[in-house]
Amino acid sequence: MDKMINLKINGRQIRARSGQTVLEAAKAAGIDIPSLCHHPAITPHGACRICLVEIERQRTLQPACTFPVSEGMRVETESPKVVEERKFVLQMLFSERNHYCMFCEMSGDCELQALAYRYGMDRWTYQNPYPKIPVDGTRKYFIMDHNRCILCRRCIRACGELAANNTLGVKFRGAKTMISADMDSPFGESTCVACGTCLQVCPTGALIDRKSAYAGREAQVERTKSVCMFCSVGCGTEIISRSGRVLRVEGEWEEHNKGVLCVAGRFEPVYDNRARIKAPLVKKNGGLVPVAWDEALDTIAARLKTTKANKVGAWTTCKTLNLTMSEFVAVFRGKLGANVGVLEPTLAELELPVGGSLTELVSSDCILVIGADPLSDHRVLGYHIKRARARGASVLLVTENNDSTMGRFADRRFGYEELPRAIRTIQGCASPSVVYGAGTGQKAAEQLGVLKRKAHFIPVFPATNGYHAKVLSLQSGLNSTPLEMAYLLLEDISPGAEVLEWAKKAKFLVVHTSYQGPITETADVILPSLLWSEQEGSIYNLEGKKAAVRKAVPLPEGLIPENEVLTQLAARL
Amino acid sequence: MAEALYRANVLVCGGTGCASSESLEVISAMTKEVSRRGLEKEVRIVQTGCRGFCAMGPVMIIYPEGIFYCQVQPRDVQTIVEETLVKGRVIGRLTYKMPDSHKELPRYQEIPFYSKQVRITLRNCGIIDPEKIDEYIARGGYEGLSHALFDMSREEVIDEVKRSGLRGRGGAGFSTGTKWEFTAKAPGDVKYAVCNADEGDPGAFMDRSILEGDPHAVIEGMTICGYAVGAREGYIYCRAEYPLAIKRLRNAIAQAEEYGLLGENILDTSFSFHLHIKEGAGAFVCGEETALLASIEGRRGEPRPRPPFPAVSGLWGKPTNLNNVKSYANIPRIIVKGAKWFSNIGTKRSPGTAIFALTGKVNNTGLVEVPMGITLGEIIFDIGGGIPKGKRFKAVQTGGPLGGCIPPQHLNVQVDFDSLQEVGAVMGSGGMIVVDEDTCMVEFSKFFLNFAQAESCGKCVPCRVGGRRMLEILTRISEGNGKMEDLGTIREIAKGMQTGSLCALGQLTPGPVMAALQYFEPEFRAHILDKECPAGTCKELVRARCINACPAEIDIPSYISLIGQGKYAEALEIHREKNPFALTCGRVCPAFCEDKCRRGDIDEPVAIRVAKRFMADHEMERPWTPKKLEGPKDKKVAVIGAGPAGLTAALRLAQKGYPVTVFEKLPIAGGMMVVGIPEYRLPRNILNKEIENIKRAGVEVKFNQELGKDFTVDGLLGKSGFSAVVLAIGAHKSRRLGIPGEDLPGVYHGTQFLKDVAMGKVPDMKGKRVAVVGGGAVAIDAARTALRLKAKKVHIIYRRTREEMPAWKAEVHAAFQEGIQFHFLTDPVGVLGPEHVTGVECHLQKLGEFDASGRRRPVPIEETEFEGAEFVLDADVFIPAIGQQPDAEFLRNGNKTVGVNKDSTVTVGANLATNLEGVFAAGDLALGPATVIEAVAQGNKVAVSVDAYLKGQPVERPKFFTEFKEIPQLYNVEDYAEAKRPVMRELPVDERIRNFEEVEAGFDEQKAREECKRCLRCDLEWLESMGLQSKAKKVA
Repeated sequence: MDKMINLKINGRQIRARSGQTVLEAAKAAGIDIPSLCHHPAITPHGACRICLVEIERQRTLQPACTFPVSEGMRVETESPKVVEERKFVLQMLFSERNHYCMFCEMSGDCELQALAYRYGMDRWTYQNPYPKIPVDGTRKYFIMDHNRCILCRRCIRACGELAANNTLGVKFRGAKTMISADMDSPFGESTCVACGTCLQVCPTGALIDRKSAYAGREAQVERTKSVCMFCSVGCGTEIISRSGRVLRVEGEWEEHNKGVLCVAGRFEPVYDNRARIKAPLVKKNGGLVPVAWDEALDTIAARLKTTKANKVGAWTTCKTLNLTMSEFVAVFRGKLGANVGVLEPTLAELELPVGGSLTELVSSDCILVIGADPLSDHRVLGYHIKRARARGASVLLVTENNDSTMGRFADRRFGYEELPRAIRTIQGCASPSVVYGAGTGQKAAEQLGVLKRKAHFIPVFPATNGYHAKVLSLQSGLNSTPLEMAYLLLEDISPGAEVLEWAKKAKFLVVHTSYQGPITETADVILPSLLWSEQEGSIYNLEGKKAAVRKAVPLPEGLIPENEVLTQLAARL
Repeated sequence: MAEALYRANVLVCGGTGCASSESLEVISAMTKEVSRRGLEKEVRIVQTGCRGFCAMGPVMIIYPEGIFYCQVQPRDVQTIVEETLVKGRVIGRLTYKMPDSHKELPRYQEIPFYSKQVRITLRNCGIIDPEKIDEYIARGGYEGLSHALFDMSREEVIDEVKRSGLRGRGGAGFSTGTKWEFTAKAPGDVKYAVCNADEGDPGAFMDRSILEGDPHAVIEGMTICGYAVGAREGYIYCRAEYPLAIKRLRNAIAQAEEYGLLGENILDTSFSFHLHIKEGAGAFVCGEETALLASIEGRRGEPRPRPPFPAVSGLWGKPTNLNNVKSYANIPRIIVKGAKWFSNIGTKRSPGTAIFALTGKVNNTGLVEVPMGITLGEIIFDIGGGIPKGKRFKAVQTGGPLGGCIPPQHLNVQVDFDSLQEVGAVMGSGGMIVVDEDTCMVEFSKFFLNFAQAESCGKCVPCRVGGRRMLEILTRISEGNGKMEDLGTIREIAKGMQTGSLCALGQLTPGPVMAALQYFEPEFRAHILDKECPAGTCKELVRARCINACPAEIDIPSYISLIGQGKYAEALEIHREKNPFALTCGRVCPAFCEDKCRRGDIDEPVAIRVAKRFMADHEMERPWTPKKLEGPKDKKVAVIGAGPAGLTAALRLAQKGYPVTVFEKLPIAGGMMVVGIPEYRLPRNILNKEIENIKRAGVEVKFNQELGKDFTVDGLLGKSGFSAVVLAIGAHKSRRLGIPGEDLPGVYHGTQFLKDVAMGKVPDMKGKRVAVVGGGAVAIDAARTALRLKAKKVHIIYRRTREEMPAWKAEVHAAFQEGIQFHFLTDPVGVLGPEHVTGVECHLQKLGEFDASGRRRPVPIEETEFEGAEFVLDADVFIPAIGQQPDAEFLRNGNKTVGVNKDSTVTVGANLATNLEGVFAAGDLALGPATVIEAVAQGNKVAVSVDAYLKGQPVERPKFFTEFKEIPQLYNVEDYAEAKRPVMRELPVDERIRNFEEVEAGFDEQKAREECKRCLRCDLEWLESMGLQSKAKKVA
C-alpha cells in the first residue's frame, strides 16, 4: 500500500500517494497544470518547462511532471511568477521555428496553440527569421515537418518506450537540435516500422497523417472506440471518422495495448482500395448479376435443400465476430449438419494455457517465443517483447526459421530439438512468459507442459478471432472430401491459392465477402459482407478477453451484417 | 629496489603549458647532455606536472638549492649543466626578474607569483614525478587512506570531512561532507563514487594539472570516499581531450593496484574499491552531474530534473557520490591533518584554498592556489603581476563562461563562494580571465554566451532557445544594429532562463551578459546609440583601431598613407576635416591612436604623432583658408573662450555659413594650448599660425572680454542678437589640497604658475628649491618649467607609484632625464612657514585597497620603531598641481543659471546642450580637464548640435561626420615587415633645461615617409572584410 501524503496545491489541501508527481497529484485533485513534453504513457522528461510550478523552499521553479510530492509541500501552479515563466517559455517556443498557426494542419487541434490561447499570447515578442527546414516526406503514411516541431521528444520516447523500436533520437545540440532517425537517415529509409505511435503522441503539427491531413478540424470528427480486427492481439482502437468516412485510426490508451498499434492496424486498412461488393450477385447466363437479398438467399436456400448435408462444406475465416461465428456454426452444423470449419489454424490441438497478459509479459524476466514470429504478424505483441527485453528480460527464440524477424532481438536461439534446454533455462527465471504460435507442434506443446504452473502463456492465433474458433472447437484447415456445394465466409480477406482450388472443385460456390477478387470470379452467388469499421459486435483478444467492436461509420445502403444474413438464410431452410 | 642517491634533482615542468613551449625538448636535451658528461648517477632529471607559472614556461627548478629558471630553451641546456650543475653558479639571464625593478630572483620561494600562494591541492604538482607512486608516498601519500581504514569508522570519516567545511570545488560549493552523508545513508547495496574531471571551461586547466601532476591524490581521495559512503566501485569521467591526464591516471591506478592500495582487499582489509576511467567526448554540459552520469551509462549527455539526486539515484539508478577532482584531491590531507587544520585556512564559510587558472591580459598567467578570502586584486596584481604593457585593468571574469565579470571597483572583493556571488560572479570551477581596456565588454560577454549557447544540450526550452535569442540580440548590438529596448529584452530572457532552465548551464548562461550589463551598461549604450565600440574591437563598428581611439575620429590611415606617398597637402586636408590643429597636435597630442595601433601588437605602433608633425610642419608656411561648406546664414553664434574647443566650434560653424564671434577673456587666443602648455613643447608662433587659419574662415575673435563682467549670456542672446551661445571657457581653477600652509607666499597653483609664465609674468625661480605635487600633465609641465626658470632643485611629490601616474609616460621619462627628483608614495601633509614656504611636510604612503578606478589607494604607513613615516622636504616654492576644475562661479550670475555638476563641470546632454535654451557647452567645461584632441572633438560635436538647433531640428546625439577616403596602398607591405620605428631627435638634456627651446625635433622627410609605410592599413582590410571592397586595391 502506498503511503498517503498531505500537501497543499494553490491553497487546497490535497491527499496524494507517495511516489506520485506533483502533476499527477494535481490532476487527481482536478487541478490542471499545463504540459507539453509530458504524456502519461511515457516517462516524464521535464524538458518543455511549461509545467513549472512554484514549490515552497525550492530555489527555482520546478517541473510538476517530474517533481515528487512530499509531506507538507506547498505548491502554486498559477502564481504570477509561474505564469510569467510559462509565457516566456511559450514566447521562446514560438520564436524557435515556424509556428504560424493559420498555415498549419493542426491549427485548432494543437496543444501548443491551445496553450498560447490559454496564456493570452497575442503577439511575438521575439521575432525570428526561423530556419527553413526541409519537410521529411519519405514515410508512406505520415510526414515529419521539423518546422512545426517543438523538440518535446514525445515521439522519441514513444518510439523507444512504447514501440521499443528506438529509431528516433536527436542529433546536434543546443539551438541546432533536431529530431532524427537512426544515424541521420531519411525517416522512410530508417528502421522505422511505421507503427505511428509517434504520430499519435505529437502535440503539434510536426507529425501529420497523410490521409487525414488538411481535411478539417478535430472538432468536426467522431471518435468510436473499437478493436483492431487485423490480428489476434485485438488492440483497442479509436476510429476517427467524419461524415461516414474513416479518417484514421488511433491506439486506445485504456486498453491492453496502451495506445500502441502497428502499421497493419493503423494505416493499411485505411488505404485498402480493392473493389467493394455492394450488393448480392447471382450467376445468370454465365455472368454475375446484382439481385435483391431475397433472391440471392432463396437461390442459396434452394441449393442447400437439394444438396446432401455431407456434400456441403461451410468454411469461415477466424476474422468473424463472435456472434457471426457462432451463428455460422449454428446454421451450418446445427441446422444442416454440414461440414463446418475455419480457414486458419486455431491452436486447438495444442494443450497449452491461454490468458497471459501484455502487462505480465512486459514485466517478465524471461520470454520464450516458439512457433511464432510476432514482429512480423503480431507486431504489437512483438513490441511488447522488445519492451520487456529493454527492461532486462532475456528472450529465447525457438524456431527453425532463419529469417525470423524476432531473430535480431533474441538473446538465445534454439532449434526444436533443443527445446528442453530452453525450458530448463526458463525454469530458473522468476517470472517467465511463453509466447507460442501455430508453428509450435504437438510434441513441443507437451514438453512445454511443465511450465504450465510457472509461466504466463500467450497464444499467437494466426487469425483475429482464433480464440473464439478454438473455444468453438472448430476444425481448422480444408476438408478433402469432394463437395457439391461450398459456402465461404471470407469477410475482407483474399484467400490463397489452396482455398481457391478447393472452392473451384465445388459444383456450387457461395462467397460471402467484402471485396472482389479471384475467388468471386468463380462464385455462383456472392453475398456482400461488412468492413471492419462497419461491424458491431465483439471478438476475443489475445488475453482472452471479450472486446467490443463498434460501428464507426454507417452501413452502405443495402448491406446486412453477416450474422443477420445467416439468420435469414436459416429461416429459409 | 632502492633508487640511487643523487647530488642534484632537476625538475622540469611537463605540464601542458610548458610542454607547448618545448619543455619536453629541454628534457631530452638535458638528458643527453648529462649523459654526455657522465653525470647520470649524480643528476636526476624529473618531468613533473604543472608548476603553475605557465607564462614563464618552460620552468625548471634545481634542487637542493631551489634555483628557479624560467623560459628555458633547449639551447640553454649546455650552459645550465656547465654553470649550475657542475660549477654551482646561478645563471642570471635565466632567473626570474621583478618586472619593475628587474631584480633577479634566483630562488623559487622568493618569486611573488609563488610567495602569496598556499598550496594544498597542488602540493605535489611540479614537485613529484607523477608517474611514480613512490614519490607520492614519500610525500605522505596514502597516509590518509590507511588512517581512514584503520583508525576511523565510516561515520568518522564523513564527520571529519563535514567538520572541515570543505565545499564542492566544482563550483556550486555544496558541503562535501554532507553530500557524502546523503550517499552513505541512501538505501542500497551497490553505490558508486564518481569523479567529475570533465573540465570544459575555455582557459581552465586546474583539474587537468592535478590529474597530470598528482593523479594519486585523486585516487586516494576517491578511495577514502568509497570507504566512507560504502561504494565498491568508482568512475573518473575525464574528457578525451586530456590524453596525458588519462595516461597518467591509468598508470597511477595500475600502480596503486599493484601496491594493494586499490582493488580487492585494500591494505588487507575487507574494503575493496575498483576504479574505472570513462573518457568523455568533450561536451561542456557533461560537467553537470546528471548529464555526466548519463554519459557514463552510454546515453546522450543530457541533464535530467532533480530530484531524485544522484546521492539517492545516480549511476544506473544506484546511490552515487559525485565530486570534482579538486574536492577529492583535498581529502587525503584533511584526513591526515584533521578538519581543524583545514578549516583554519581560508575564510570561515569557505575554508581551504581556491585554485585558479589565471589567464588573459595579466603578466603572470598560470595556475595559482590561494587561500580563500584573498582579494581579487591581490591575485591579479601581486601574484598575477598586473596588466601587461601598462594598460588599464578593465575586468576579470571568474567562473568561466557561466560566471560573470568583476569591474575595478570590486577588486577588493574576497575570493570565496559567497562574496563572489554577491558581486554577480561565481566561483565556478576556477577560470579567471583578466581583460584590459582593449576588451569590449559587449564582445566579451558575447564570446561567453556564444560558447554557452552552443554547448546547451538542447533539452529544455529556456536554455535552448533563450541562449540563441540572446546571442542574436547581442550580435545585433555589436554590429551597431541594436535598439535600446534590446537591453530590456536581454534582461527578460535572462530572467526566464535563470528561473526556468533545467540545469545550471541554462540557469547561468545569462550570467556573463548580465554582469557585463550591470557594470558596463554605458558601453552597451555606446554600441546602440552611437554605433561606436569604445574599446575598438567590434569589427562592424571599427574601421581601424586608431580612428576609433581618436576622440575626433580623424581618418588616420588615409593621411598616414598620403604622407608615405609624399602628398602632404592632401594628407593635411584630410586631417583638417576633423581637426584644425595639426601643428599643435603633432606636438602635444597623447596619441590615443598609437596606444591602439595594431602594429603595436607586433612590434611598436606607427609613430603617428611625429609623422603628423612632419606633415604639418612641411605645409606650415602655406596659409589655409577653410572651405565654406554651406551658404551664408543670418543667425549669429557666440563662442565664449578661444581654446581648442571654442575655436574648433567657431571654425565649423563659420564653415556652415554662420557669423561667429569668439569672446576671449585673455589678450591672446589658444586657451590652455597657450597658457597651459609650456613653450618647450609648443612654441607660441606655431600655435598662432593655426589660430590665424581659423580666423581666415571668417571667425571674429574679441579679446579681453570676460563673461559676467564685460557681457552676460543673457545679453548675448538678448540685445546682442546672438541666436546661440557656446560656452567653452575651460577648466582653469586649481583644486586645493586642503592642507595647512597652502596659502603661504611661495605657493603657486600649477595652472596659475604656467599661465603666469606664458603671459610673461615670470615668477622668480632662480636658485630656488621647488616642490611640485601631483602626477598629471600639469605637475610635470610645472616642474619642467620651473627647472627651465633656473630652479636649483625640482621635486615632484606623488602619492602613488610611477605606474599609476596619469601623465604622459614620455613626459615623465623626460622629466626624469632632466634631473627632476620624484618622491613616490609620498603625500604632503603641510606646507611649512612661518612667513614664506620653507619646506613641505610629507608622510610616506603604501598602496592599500583598490579604489573604483582599479588603482590601489595610497594609505599612510604606520610609524614603526625603526622607521619614521614622516619627513620634511626643504623647499622655497610649493606648486600644487593635483587637478583643475571649471570656474563655475561666474555662470551663477544672471537670473537664469546653467546647471552645474558636483565636480563643477556644466551639465550637458549627449548633444552638449545645457538646460538653457540656445546655450551649449563644450571642452573642459563639459568634460573636466582633458586633452586638446578631446576638446577639438567636442568643438566639432557642439557645432553639429548648434547647427541642428538653429535649423530647428535639434539632435539627440550629434555626430560630426565626414567621408572617409580610400587611399590605395602603393607598395608591398611585406617590405616593411621588419622595419622599426625610428627614434625621434631630441634636444640633448643639458641644452634643453636652460631655455624654452622645443625639445622634440620631429622626423626628417625620409624618416617620416618610411615610417608611414609601417601602417598595416586596417582600413583597407576592414573594407574588404565588410564586403565593401575598396576601389583602392592593395598592391601585392
